[in-house]
Amino acid sequence: MKKMLNKAGVILSAVVALGFSAARAQPATTTGHANDFSSVEYFKPPHQMLMASRLSGMEAQPQGQLLLIKQLKLETFDTNGVPGLIVKAPNCVYDVVHGVANSPGHVRLETADGSSHVEGDGFLWRQTDHFLTISNNVQTVIEPGPKKKTGL
Amino acid sequence: MALAGGWLHAQTNAAAMSTSHAPTIITSERADFDLAERHAVYRSNVRVDDPQMKLTCEEMTADLPQSGGQINHLVALTNVVMDSVDEKGQTKHATSDKAIYDYNVVNGVTNETVTLTGNAKVKDGPNWMTGEPITFNLVNHAIHTMHAENESMIIYQETTSALANTNAPAAKTNLPAGAADLPVTKTNFPPGTIQNIDKNTTQSGTTTQ
Repeated sequence: MKKMLNKAGVILSAVVALGFSAARAQPATTTGHANDFSSVEYFKPPHQMLMASRLSGMEAQPQGQLLLIKQLKLETFDTNGVPGLIVKAPNCVYDVVHGVANSPGHVRLETADGSSHVEGDGFLWRQTDHFLTISNNVQTVIEPGPKKKTGL
Repeated sequence: MALAGGWLHAQTNAAAMSTSHAPTIITSERADFDLAERHAVYRSNVRVDDPQMKLTCEEMTADLPQSGGQINHLVALTNVVMDSVDEKGQTKHATSDKAIYDYNVVNGVTNETVTLTGNAKVKDGPNWMTGEPITFNLVNHAIHTMHAENESMIIYQETTSALANTNAPAAKTNLPAGAADLPVTKTNFPPGTIQNIDKNTTQSGTTTQ
Protein backbone atom coordinates (compact mmCIF):
# COMPACT_ATOMS: atom_id res chain seq x y z
CA MET A 1 0.00 0.00 0.00
CA LYS A 2 2.91 2.22 0.77
CA LYS A 3 4.18 2.15 -2.71
CA MET A 4 0.77 2.86 -4.00
CA LEU A 5 0.23 5.69 -1.63
CA ASN A 6 3.60 7.11 -2.35
CA LYS A 7 2.83 6.98 -5.98
CA ALA A 8 -0.55 8.47 -5.34
CA GLY A 9 1.12 11.64 -4.27
CA VAL A 10 3.24 11.72 -7.33
CA ILE A 11 0.25 10.91 -9.40
CA LEU A 12 -2.01 13.53 -8.01
CA SER A 13 0.75 16.04 -8.16
CA ALA A 14 1.33 15.17 -11.76
CA VAL A 15 -2.36 15.25 -12.44
CA VAL A 16 -2.81 18.75 -11.34
CA ALA A 17 0.44 19.94 -12.80
CA LEU A 18 -0.14 18.29 -16.12
CA GLY A 19 -3.77 19.23 -16.17
CA PHE A 20 -2.88 22.81 -15.61
CA SER A 21 -0.23 22.69 -18.27
CA ALA A 22 -2.62 21.11 -20.69
CA ALA A 23 -5.20 23.76 -20.09
CA ARG A 24 -2.71 26.55 -20.33
CA ALA A 25 -1.49 25.12 -23.59
CA GLN A 26 -4.77 26.05 -25.17
CA PRO A 27 -4.73 29.11 -27.41
CA ALA A 28 -5.45 32.29 -25.51
CA THR A 29 -8.09 33.26 -28.02
CA THR A 30 -10.24 30.33 -27.01
CA THR A 31 -12.03 29.72 -23.76
CA GLY A 32 -9.24 27.40 -22.66
CA HIS A 33 -11.59 24.49 -22.95
CA ALA A 34 -9.99 21.21 -24.01
CA ASN A 35 -11.70 17.99 -25.00
CA ASP A 36 -10.23 14.52 -24.99
CA PHE A 37 -6.95 15.91 -23.98
CA SER A 38 -3.87 14.08 -22.87
CA SER A 39 -0.54 15.16 -21.59
CA VAL A 40 2.62 13.19 -21.15
CA GLU A 41 5.36 13.80 -18.66
CA TYR A 42 8.81 12.31 -19.15
CA PHE A 43 11.43 11.35 -16.63
CA LYS A 44 14.34 13.60 -15.99
CA PRO A 45 17.72 12.63 -17.47
CA PRO A 46 19.04 10.09 -17.96
CA HIS A 47 15.57 8.67 -18.60
CA GLN A 48 14.25 11.68 -20.42
CA MET A 49 13.08 9.53 -23.31
CA LEU A 50 10.80 7.46 -21.11
CA MET A 51 7.25 8.33 -20.22
CA ALA A 52 6.75 8.90 -16.51
CA SER A 53 3.04 9.57 -16.61
CA ARG A 54 0.19 10.16 -18.96
CA LEU A 55 -2.74 12.32 -17.99
CA SER A 56 -5.90 12.20 -19.98
CA GLY A 57 -9.37 13.53 -19.56
CA MET A 58 -12.58 14.10 -21.36
CA GLU A 59 -12.61 17.77 -20.60
CA ALA A 60 -10.50 20.44 -18.95
CA GLN A 61 -11.73 23.95 -18.45
CA PRO A 62 -10.12 26.86 -16.59
CA GLN A 63 -12.37 28.96 -14.40
CA GLY A 64 -10.41 31.76 -12.87
CA GLN A 65 -7.73 30.20 -10.75
CA LEU A 66 -9.52 26.88 -10.90
CA LEU A 67 -9.13 24.15 -13.42
CA LEU A 68 -12.08 21.84 -13.89
CA ILE A 69 -11.22 18.36 -15.12
CA LYS A 70 -13.73 15.69 -16.07
CA GLN A 71 -13.11 11.98 -16.46
CA LEU A 72 -9.63 12.26 -15.18
CA LYS A 73 -7.30 9.37 -15.78
CA LEU A 74 -3.67 9.35 -14.85
CA GLU A 75 -1.28 6.51 -15.57
CA THR A 76 2.21 6.24 -14.19
CA PHE A 77 5.16 4.21 -15.40
CA ASP A 78 8.49 3.28 -13.96
CA THR A 79 11.81 3.70 -15.67
CA ASN A 80 11.46 0.25 -17.20
CA GLY A 81 8.24 1.27 -18.88
CA VAL A 82 6.17 -0.89 -16.57
CA PRO A 83 2.80 0.64 -15.69
CA GLY A 84 2.47 1.62 -12.06
CA LEU A 85 -0.69 3.27 -10.86
CA ILE A 86 -3.89 4.43 -12.41
CA VAL A 87 -5.91 7.20 -10.84
CA LYS A 88 -9.43 7.88 -11.94
CA ALA A 89 -11.81 10.61 -10.86
CA PRO A 90 -14.98 11.61 -12.68
CA ASN A 91 -14.49 15.20 -11.62
CA CYS A 92 -11.66 17.21 -10.15
CA VAL A 93 -11.20 20.87 -9.33
CA TYR A 94 -7.69 22.19 -9.03
CA ASP A 95 -6.88 25.47 -7.37
CA VAL A 96 -3.91 26.62 -9.36
CA VAL A 97 -2.88 29.33 -6.91
CA HIS A 98 -2.96 27.25 -3.76
CA GLY A 99 -2.01 23.96 -5.29
CA VAL A 100 -5.05 22.19 -3.96
CA ALA A 101 -7.19 19.70 -5.83
CA ASN A 102 -10.50 18.44 -4.58
CA SER A 103 -13.69 16.79 -5.55
CA PRO A 104 -16.85 15.64 -3.80
CA GLY A 105 -16.97 12.76 -6.20
CA HIS A 106 -15.39 9.39 -6.38
CA VAL A 107 -11.67 8.75 -6.58
CA ARG A 108 -9.95 5.50 -7.25
CA LEU A 109 -6.29 4.61 -7.20
CA GLU A 110 -5.31 1.21 -8.45
CA THR A 111 -2.22 -0.69 -9.35
CA ALA A 112 -1.81 -1.27 -13.02
CA ASP A 113 -2.07 -5.02 -12.54
CA GLY A 114 -5.34 -4.54 -10.69
CA SER A 115 -4.11 -6.33 -7.59
CA SER A 116 -4.76 -3.50 -5.15
CA HIS A 117 -6.74 -0.34 -5.04
CA VAL A 118 -7.92 2.45 -2.79
CA GLU A 119 -11.11 4.28 -3.42
CA GLY A 120 -13.50 6.61 -1.71
CA ASP A 121 -15.83 9.53 -2.11
CA GLY A 122 -14.59 13.04 -1.80
CA PHE A 123 -10.92 13.90 -1.76
CA LEU A 124 -8.58 16.75 -1.10
CA TRP A 125 -5.03 16.89 -2.33
CA ARG A 126 -2.54 19.45 -1.11
CA GLN A 127 0.34 19.56 -3.47
CA THR A 128 2.51 21.67 -1.18
CA ASP A 129 2.92 18.96 1.44
CA HIS A 130 1.76 15.97 -0.57
CA PHE A 131 -1.19 15.33 1.68
CA LEU A 132 -4.21 13.41 0.48
CA THR A 133 -7.47 13.10 2.34
CA ILE A 134 -10.26 10.82 1.27
CA SER A 135 -13.23 11.98 3.24
CA ASN A 136 -15.86 9.27 2.90
CA ASN A 137 -16.27 5.57 2.39
CA VAL A 138 -12.61 4.75 2.15
CA GLN A 139 -11.88 1.24 1.05
CA THR A 140 -8.53 -0.39 0.45
CA VAL A 141 -8.52 -3.78 -1.21
CA ILE A 142 -5.45 -5.99 -1.33
CA GLU A 143 -5.65 -9.17 -3.32
CA PRO A 144 -3.72 -12.16 -1.99
CA GLY A 145 -0.84 -13.76 -3.80
CA PRO A 146 2.30 -12.51 -5.47
CA LYS A 147 0.51 -9.56 -6.95
CA LYS A 148 0.29 -8.20 -3.46
CA LYS A 149 3.89 -7.04 -3.61
CA THR A 150 2.75 -3.61 -4.52
CA GLY A 151 3.49 -2.08 -1.17
CA LEU A 152 -0.15 -1.33 -0.68
CA MET B 1 -4.79 -6.82 11.68
CA ALA B 2 -1.53 -5.45 9.04
CA LEU B 3 -4.21 -5.94 9.82
CA ALA B 4 -2.90 -2.73 5.61
CA GLY B 5 0.89 -2.67 5.66
CA GLY B 6 2.68 -3.59 8.91
CA TRP B 7 -0.58 -4.50 10.23
CA LEU B 8 -1.44 -4.77 6.67
CA HIS B 9 1.48 -7.03 6.34
CA ALA B 10 0.05 -9.13 9.12
CA GLN B 11 -3.12 -9.26 7.19
CA THR B 12 -1.36 -10.15 4.03
CA ASN B 13 0.61 -12.87 5.76
CA ALA B 14 -2.56 -14.19 7.19
CA ALA B 15 -4.06 -14.13 3.78
CA ALA B 16 -1.07 -15.94 2.39
CA MET B 17 -1.47 -18.67 4.98
CA SER B 18 -5.11 -19.02 4.26
CA THR B 19 -6.39 -21.41 1.70
CA SER B 20 -8.89 -18.73 0.84
CA HIS B 21 -8.06 -16.30 -1.90
CA ALA B 22 -10.29 -13.64 -0.51
CA PRO B 23 -8.71 -10.20 -0.48
CA THR B 24 -7.85 -8.12 2.54
CA ILE B 25 -10.18 -5.17 2.77
CA ILE B 26 -9.68 -2.09 4.92
CA THR B 27 -12.56 0.27 5.27
CA SER B 28 -12.97 3.49 7.17
CA GLU B 29 -15.01 6.62 6.96
CA ARG B 30 -11.98 8.74 6.26
CA ALA B 31 -8.29 8.41 5.55
CA ASP B 32 -5.37 10.78 5.46
CA PHE B 33 -2.20 10.01 3.58
CA ASP B 34 0.84 12.13 4.36
CA LEU B 35 2.98 11.07 1.48
CA ALA B 36 5.85 13.37 2.40
CA GLU B 37 6.16 11.90 5.87
CA ARG B 38 5.10 8.47 4.70
CA HIS B 39 2.27 8.25 7.15
CA ALA B 40 -1.30 7.06 6.72
CA VAL B 41 -4.20 7.39 9.11
CA TYR B 42 -7.51 5.61 8.76
CA ARG B 43 -10.22 7.23 10.86
CA SER B 44 -13.69 6.38 12.14
CA ASN B 45 -15.12 2.90 12.08
CA VAL B 46 -11.94 1.32 10.81
CA ARG B 47 -12.39 -2.28 9.85
CA VAL B 48 -9.91 -4.78 8.52
CA ASP B 49 -11.38 -7.88 6.93
CA ASP B 50 -8.93 -10.61 6.19
CA PRO B 51 -9.53 -14.31 5.61
CA GLN B 52 -7.94 -15.07 8.96
CA MET B 53 -8.29 -11.90 10.94
CA LYS B 54 -10.87 -9.26 11.57
CA LEU B 55 -10.02 -6.04 13.31
CA THR B 56 -12.05 -3.02 14.19
CA CYS B 57 -10.99 0.20 15.86
CA GLU B 58 -11.61 3.90 15.69
CA GLU B 59 -8.26 4.90 14.27
CA MET B 60 -5.41 3.09 12.62
CA THR B 61 -2.10 4.64 11.67
CA ALA B 62 0.62 3.24 9.50
CA ASP B 63 4.19 4.27 8.94
CA LEU B 64 4.88 3.77 5.29
CA PRO B 65 8.32 2.36 4.48
CA GLN B 66 10.66 3.30 1.73
CA SER B 67 9.91 1.98 -1.69
CA GLY B 68 10.24 -1.75 -2.02
CA GLY B 69 9.79 -2.31 1.67
CA GLN B 70 6.88 -3.41 3.73
CA ILE B 71 4.83 -1.50 6.21
CA ASN B 72 6.48 -2.32 9.47
CA HIS B 73 4.61 -0.34 12.08
CA LEU B 74 0.90 0.10 12.60
CA VAL B 75 -1.09 1.35 15.53
CA ALA B 76 -4.77 0.67 16.09
CA LEU B 77 -6.41 2.91 18.67
CA THR B 78 -9.63 3.01 20.66
CA ASN B 79 -12.01 0.14 21.06
CA VAL B 80 -9.69 -2.29 19.36
CA VAL B 81 -11.32 -5.64 18.72
CA MET B 82 -9.42 -8.38 16.95
CA ASP B 83 -10.64 -11.82 15.98
CA SER B 84 -8.32 -14.29 14.40
CA VAL B 85 -8.17 -17.93 13.45
CA ASP B 86 -4.88 -19.79 13.54
CA GLU B 87 -3.77 -22.56 11.22
CA LYS B 88 -5.45 -25.10 13.51
CA GLY B 89 -8.73 -23.32 13.23
CA GLN B 90 -8.65 -22.09 16.83
CA THR B 91 -10.21 -18.72 17.35
CA LYS B 92 -8.78 -15.87 19.36
CA HIS B 93 -10.74 -12.83 20.39
CA ALA B 94 -8.83 -9.84 21.69
CA THR B 95 -9.85 -6.43 22.92
CA SER B 96 -7.75 -3.50 24.05
CA ASP B 97 -7.41 0.23 23.91
CA LYS B 98 -4.38 0.02 21.69
CA ALA B 99 -2.73 -2.51 19.42
CA ILE B 100 0.68 -2.07 17.88
CA TYR B 101 1.91 -4.14 14.99
CA ASP B 102 5.65 -4.36 14.39
CA TYR B 103 7.51 -6.16 11.68
CA ASN B 104 11.23 -6.38 11.20
CA VAL B 105 13.90 -8.76 10.05
CA VAL B 106 17.11 -8.92 12.06
CA ASN B 107 19.97 -11.14 10.91
CA GLY B 108 17.57 -13.03 8.71
CA VAL B 109 15.13 -13.64 11.54
CA THR B 110 11.63 -12.30 11.06
CA ASN B 111 9.97 -10.68 14.03
CA GLU B 112 6.32 -9.96 13.69
CA THR B 113 4.21 -9.08 16.70
CA VAL B 114 1.00 -7.43 17.75
CA THR B 115 1.14 -5.88 21.21
CA LEU B 116 -2.05 -5.09 23.07
CA THR B 117 -2.15 -2.51 25.85
CA GLY B 118 -4.85 -0.73 27.76
CA ASN B 119 -7.41 -3.12 29.22
CA ALA B 120 -5.96 -5.85 27.07
CA LYS B 121 -7.90 -9.06 27.12
CA VAL B 122 -7.59 -12.16 24.99
CA LYS B 123 -9.94 -15.08 24.72
CA ASP B 124 -7.98 -18.07 23.46
CA GLY B 125 -10.32 -21.01 23.12
CA PRO B 126 -11.97 -21.50 26.52
CA ASN B 127 -9.40 -19.36 28.33
CA TRP B 128 -9.44 -15.67 29.04
CA MET B 129 -6.19 -13.84 29.51
CA THR B 130 -5.52 -10.35 30.77
CA GLY B 131 -2.18 -8.61 31.02
CA GLU B 132 -0.22 -5.49 30.30
CA PRO B 133 0.90 -5.86 27.66
CA ILE B 134 -0.18 -8.97 25.84
CA THR B 135 1.89 -9.78 22.81
CA PHE B 136 0.95 -11.97 19.89
CA ASN B 137 3.91 -13.46 18.12
CA LEU B 138 2.66 -13.87 14.59
CA VAL B 139 5.64 -15.98 13.61
CA ASN B 140 5.16 -18.82 16.08
CA HIS B 141 1.59 -17.95 17.09
CA ALA B 142 2.53 -17.66 20.75
CA ILE B 143 0.79 -15.30 23.15
CA HIS B 144 2.79 -13.93 26.03
CA THR B 145 3.49 -10.94 28.18
CA MET B 146 6.67 -8.94 28.19
CA HIS B 147 8.53 -6.84 30.72
CA ALA B 148 8.26 -9.29 33.58
CA GLU B 149 8.81 -6.62 36.22
CA ASN B 150 5.60 -4.95 35.23
CA GLU B 151 3.54 -7.74 33.90
CA SER B 152 0.32 -8.82 35.42
CA MET B 153 -1.05 -11.79 33.61
CA ILE B 154 -4.09 -13.74 34.61
CA ILE B 155 -5.37 -16.76 32.78
CA TYR B 156 -8.65 -18.24 33.76
CA GLN B 157 -10.90 -20.75 32.19
CA GLU B 158 -14.33 -19.95 31.12
CA THR B 159 -16.94 -21.73 33.22
CA THR B 160 -20.15 -22.95 31.78
CA SER B 161 -23.46 -22.63 33.52
CA ALA B 162 -23.81 -26.41 33.55
CA LEU B 163 -20.63 -26.87 35.57
CA ALA B 164 -21.28 -23.97 37.83
CA ASN B 165 -24.42 -25.56 39.21
CA THR B 166 -23.03 -28.97 40.00
CA ASN B 167 -21.64 -30.32 43.26
CA ALA B 168 -17.91 -30.71 43.33
CA PRO B 169 -16.75 -34.32 43.01
CA ALA B 170 -15.23 -36.07 46.02
CA ALA B 171 -11.53 -35.45 46.38
CA LYS B 172 -9.37 -38.37 45.44
CA THR B 173 -7.29 -39.89 48.23
CA ASN B 174 -4.97 -42.80 48.63
CA LEU B 175 -6.87 -44.03 51.63
CA PRO B 176 -8.46 -47.45 51.39
CA ALA B 177 -12.18 -47.61 50.95
CA GLY B 178 -13.91 -46.76 54.19
CA ALA B 179 -10.80 -45.28 55.75
CA ALA B 180 -12.39 -41.91 55.90
CA ASP B 181 -14.94 -43.33 58.27
CA LEU B 182 -12.32 -44.53 60.76
CA PRO B 183 -12.36 -42.81 64.15
CA VAL B 184 -9.69 -40.25 64.72
CA THR B 185 -6.89 -41.60 66.88
CA LYS B 186 -6.31 -39.52 69.95
CA THR B 187 -2.73 -38.81 71.04
CA ASN B 188 -1.10 -36.83 73.77
CA PHE B 189 1.07 -34.93 71.33
CA PRO B 190 0.37 -31.25 70.90
CA PRO B 191 -0.97 -30.17 67.52
CA GLY B 192 1.60 -30.10 64.75
CA THR B 193 3.93 -32.61 66.42
CA ILE B 194 5.03 -35.69 64.54
CA GLN B 195 6.01 -38.66 66.62
CA ASN B 196 9.64 -39.88 66.25
CA ILE B 197 10.47 -37.00 63.96
CA ASP B 198 14.14 -37.24 64.92
CA LYS B 199 14.45 -40.76 63.55
CA ASN B 200 14.64 -41.87 59.94
CA THR B 201 13.52 -45.31 59.00
CA THR B 202 15.31 -47.06 56.20
CA GLN B 203 13.79 -49.53 53.82
CA SER B 204 15.58 -52.39 55.59
CA GLY B 205 13.74 -51.49 58.73
CA THR B 206 16.77 -50.23 60.63
CA THR B 207 16.50 -46.95 62.35
CA THR B 208 19.16 -44.31 62.10
CA GLN B 209 19.65 -41.32 64.26
